[in-house]
Amino acid sequence: MSIKYHPKHELLSAFVAGELPASLSIAVSAHNELCDECRKKCEALAESQAIEFMKEDSFNEFELDDFESINDEFDEMFAAITTEPSRPEPLAKPCVNIDYKGQSLKLPRALTSVTMSNWQKLGKLRRAKLELAEGKVHSNLLEIEAGGTVPTHTHKGYELTLLLAGSFSDEHDTYHAGDFIWLNQHNTHTPVTAEGCLCFTVADDAQTFTQGISKLLNPIGRFIY
Amino acid sequence: MTPEQSQQLKQWLSDIALKRDKKAFANIFKSFAPKIKGFGMKQLKSESAANDLLQDTMSIVWRKSHLYDADKGAATTWIYTIMRNLSFDMLRKAQTQKEDSLSDDIWPIAEVVDDSGEVFSDHLMSQQIAQYLDSLPEAQKQVVQGVYFQEMTQEQLATQLEIPLGTVKSRLRLALNKLKQQIEENS
Ligand SMILES: [Zn+2]
Repeated sequence: MSIKYHPKHELLSAFVAGELPASLSIAVSAHNELCDECRKKCEALAESQAIEFMKEDSFNEFELDDFESINDEFDEMFAAITTEPSRPEPLAKPCVNIDYKGQSLKLPRALTSVTMSNWQKLGKLRRAKLELAEGKVHSNLLEIEAGGTVPTHTHKGYELTLLLAGSFSDEHDTYHAGDFIWLNQHNTHTPVTAEGCLCFTVADDAQTFTQGISKLLNPIGRFIY
Repeated sequence: MTPEQSQQLKQWLSDIALKRDKKAFANIFKSFAPKIKGFGMKQLKSESAANDLLQDTMSIVWRKSHLYDADKGAATTWIYTIMRNLSFDMLRKAQTQKEDSLSDDIWPIAEVVDDSGEVFSDHLMSQQIAQYLDSLPEAQKQVVQGVYFQEMTQEQLATQLEIPLGTVKSRLRLALNKLKQQIEENS
């Protein structure tokens, strides 16, 4: 099943520039792990951003050939770097695996070093919080068991869902692994899943609970944020 | 940047990787230092943080130039992404007081474990290998890490460790024998 929903261009560009919060950077990175198209776009964006970066000044330093002429500050730094004894680099950490539908599922590489809370369960929902400390931006791994649903909700800010495994449907479409679904305050939806699914979600929703009290101050609303 | 300049940059990186060439590194340092510092001032809003960014970026260029793959993109892009990663982690640390370095996982550069080798083909296997590796003498471990995890050639490794190529080869042979033994004993 091919991926139908991708991050928009501005988001990819901010991702490559390192301007997104960690939660959204992880989401785009995890999407790219599944999507060649966006990964290639990001490679091209990095190339053009690097060119812009080099244009900030002229490149005339290339003409100089004697490195005695760097000013003192840089001189000192240069010496510190080149006299540092060589040491073996740490090994790349292996990806984290989690238990999903009784099987081991490899999580996206971007999640490898993130601290996660224990899984909590509420009905057919199971959730682990990512401890990224980004204020009102919250991220979770959310598993919905087969036949599960999330009651109709709206978003005051944005809600990003990256589907990692399985599938779900809402009023608009059916989504598959890799789909990157961005909703804002104008969208309402009621996700349901027949086969079950695992998602990575990011929400910026702190205001919602004080305003839509009757619908949103419910345990599930708080649970998935 | 002209194609000649771009080619020159690649050459310098390769001289650093193969010959630990300080002059090549000085040239790269000079070309990038003002720009990285400018970027750091803009992003991190302090001169000392900008200096840290510059030193850390250049230190990685010096230590990991062998990981730059000229077939995969321009040298400027490689250095830019190293700087972007460090800046991201520094900014995150300042804003959240979190010490977790996430950037290398979010933007894996050329540091993903090489699993093309026969022994390392299986992911679980390579995890276990990492444990066996710890039981090797430090000198042998260094060689295995260099060749299998940092994708260096044996020649590059000899230069970096300042030991003869023959020593690299014999250490590698000893280490692999020991690893094989351990794998057989445990399977
Ligand atoms: Zn995509």
